Amino acid sequence: MPKTNNNQKAKYIIELKDLTKKFGKFTAVDKINLKVKEGEIFGFLGPNGAGKTTTISMLTTLIPPTSGVAKVDGHDIVSEGVHIRSIIGVVPQTFALFPELTAEENLSYIGKLYGLTSQEIKKRSEYLLKEVSLYDHRDRLAGVYSGGMKQRLSLAASLMPKPKILFMDEPTTGLDPQSRIKMRDITKQLNSQGMTIVYTTHDMDEAEKICDRITIMDRGRIAAQGTSEELKHMITEYHTVEVEIENPSEKVMDALRKLPFVEKVELHEEGELIIINVKKKDGVFYVLSDFFHKHKEKVLEIRFVEPTLEDVFIELTKKDLRD
Amino acid sequence: MEPKTNGSRERTIDINKIFAIIHKNFIVMTRDKVRIIPLMLFPIFMILVFGYTTGNIPKHIGTAVIAYDNSEISQAIQQEIANSQVFAVRYRVSTEGEARKLLDKGDIRVIIEIPPGLQNDIENGRQAGIVVIVDESDSAVASTAKQTMTAIVNKMSAAISQQKIGQFQASVSAASQILVSQAMRPEQYDVIEASTSSAQANLQTAKKLTDDQLKAVKAAAPAPLMFVVSSKTVMLNESNTYYDVPAGYYSTLAQIGLLQQQSALIGAAAKDVKKSVAVSTKSDNADKARNDYTVRKKAIAAPMKSIQVFTRYSKKGILQPLTYSEKPAYGTGKRPIDFVIPSIIALTIFQGALMGMGRAIAGEKREGSLTRVFLTPTSNATIIAGTLLFYMLFEMCRSSFLIIVSMFIFNIKIEGSLLAIGVVLFIYAGVSTGMGLIVSSIVRTEQQFMAVAMLFSMPSMFLSGALFPIQAMPQILQVVAKFLPVTYGGEALRGLMIKGFSISMVIFPIAILLVFLAIVLSIVFMVFTRNIE
Repeated sequence: MPKTNNNQKAKYIIELKDLTKKFGKFTAVDKINLKVKEGEIFGFLGPNGAGKTTTISMLTTLIPPTSGVAKVDGHDIVSEGVHIRSIIGVVPQTFALFPELTAEENLSYIGKLYGLTSQEIKKRSEYLLKEVSLYDHRDRLAGVYSGGMKQRLSLAASLMPKPKILFMDEPTTGLDPQSRIKMRDITKQLNSQGMTIVYTTHDMDEAEKICDRITIMDRGRIAAQGTSEELKHMITEYHTVEVEIENPSEKVMDALRKLPFVEKVELHEEGELIIINVKKKDGVFYVLSDFFHKHKEKVLEIRFVEPTLEDVFIELTKKDLRD
Repeated sequence: MEPKTNGSRERTIDINKIFAIIHKNFIVMTRDKVRIIPLMLFPIFMILVFGYTTGNIPKHIGTAVIAYDNSEISQAIQQEIANSQVFAVRYRVSTEGEARKLLDKGDIRVIIEIPPGLQNDIENGRQAGIVVIVDESDSAVASTAKQTMTAIVNKMSAAISQQKIGQFQASVSAASQILVSQAMRPEQYDVIEASTSSAQANLQTAKKLTDDQLKAVKAAAPAPLMFVVSSKTVMLNESNTYYDVPAGYYSTLAQIGLLQQQSALIGAAAKDVKKSVAVSTKSDNADKARNDYTVRKKAIAAPMKSIQVFTRYSKKGILQPLTYSEKPAYGTGKRPIDFVIPSIIALTIFQGALMGMGRAIAGEKREGSLTRVFLTPTSNATIIAGTLLFYMLFEMCRSSFLIIVSMFIFNIKIEGSLLAIGVVLFIYAGVSTGMGLIVSSIVRTEQQFMAVAMLFSMPSMFLSGALFPIQAMPQILQVVAKFLPVTYGGEALRGLMIKGFSISMVIFPIAILLVFLAIVLSIVFMVFTRNIE
């Protein structure tokens, strides 16, 4: 199946309408509306407690919503949970496998619960164990695996039924850099084979790297939605250029302000850095270098500074991600 | 030596920090209400069990009386049984068969048989035996029942014995008084020949005694009946004050012997009186003598008759008219351990299944592996059935092992059918596992599971009857015991394994277990949800 994320006619495989979950008085998910296209990697980005996992739990039929409607592959999450469970794969936040069983036994057990035949299980688990590089460790107890191995086994288990949609709840949290990269590579590879992936993370960088579209969640609500470019553009219509310069003068600063594409010029507190907001990006680099050359200023570096998703997040929620 | 900690260490005690730690622990403790409630309630339960059970004797043990004899003595015994508080006479039946059926059903624990012709035997100086059949299932109940019944029999026996000796005494006394007042007139009858050999021997002995010696004998004997012999005449001492409660067997036996000896002497004396009267009729005053003879003959006839009855008695018949004996309730040679083992098996299955569930569900909940199962298209019924069946089979294997070990090491003989035992074990393991499943479904952590499970497992442990007699417990705990599956599991297993019952004879506990199973499974399906909130 080809990637369809930019196709306007793309089918929505997951649709949420006013989906709400309350735990007692606490509203974990507050009337969220969103649509996930078939074949995309859809990211839920947000701090802990934003409602990402609760949303995933509702979509994967683990907990019932308090109100609102959600459909996965056209099936209602409350009344048609049985169908949904048979077409989704879930990598839960916790290990969620049996430490007393070997990797192979774990997959075999899960495979049986999906109703696969012994032959299918054998074929599938061998393939998946190779895919997640655990084939050589298949006879070891899952309990003694490292964090990264456990997470890869968890992924393999969730892929046993050849799911149409894969939900991954913070699959890289707590992993070392190599394991993270490996996990992301496998995720991308699965997506390239046509699998829709719903991915939650609190890592901005990760969301930006692998998600086609991102929903930023905060306190149970959707703060923003779009591609990472769209999200960044949301917080500012200007581009930022930083110029490192020796002893910038007021004269130069004033001259800069007079340039037609310049919106705002500031001197950084440390005094050797000018921050310029520009209305456009194209050709700005050459114009600026020419400008400083003319003014005989000694420029050390001119660079464009892109807003990060973190900036977007802080701007949108007025809250530091590390809270 | 290497330092145990690295770097510098704090050496001061900070009161504020101590309070902070106390406060934190207080918050942690009070927040988990599921844990704290059992923690608070448990010791109260322990006090109830230990405070009222240990040292208390079982009371109101269900009893059936078979009275083959309905005489006064029989009624007196029954009254004594009823007054004891230990026995609750629930049934009066006419055959042992009927009584044994009640015993099998578990309605009663004790059968007391009062033999036919009890009063007749006692009145004729023969021993009469009370037979007791005790269900040994509960060793404390059994031993209390036996002890109490032995005490009742001994008490009644002593009372009857006292009464008899008293009567004997009175007869002897009456006869001797008549002899003394009517017959002993030394001026009239100079020589009286002793007619029996033992009386003669006594006479010979007595005649040799001087007055001082006689006094000494009288003083030395601790108030026995004494006969006093004057130089030519047999006289009987009528002082009857000896009759205190006999302290020991031998002194009582001696008294009876003495009484019987006395009777013989009196008999001999009476004959001698008649003889002397016969001699005196040859004298001049014939009319007077004949008249004397008739009067004396009449006077002595009644006491002599009753004395003669007593002389025929066996000493045991007078000393211990009632005897106590036991008949085994089930088979022969059953020991307390035989009855304990089924209870232990019932208890083990319950505890094992309950605690196993803690691991199976609460543990998997914590690890998240249950979540993984919930994510697959697998129905609740499937998960419940799979989990239940495994633990049921496992508990059956475990109890089979226990039974085999009991057979070889503890020499237990399995009386009933193994198939029936298997059926009971299966149902009972289902109930126990189901209860574990309920508890593990409603709790969030294994710690909470342990606390809540304790609410079931502790009463089961103490109220199963395996460790403490249920009959000795406060009424409230006896009621609690009725709501525990272990009570019925134990009962059914005891019946099948030890008492040699057929499955139809333990149908009641099995039916109760099935009711438990139905209720427990319904609750399981209600509380076991996929919701992992």
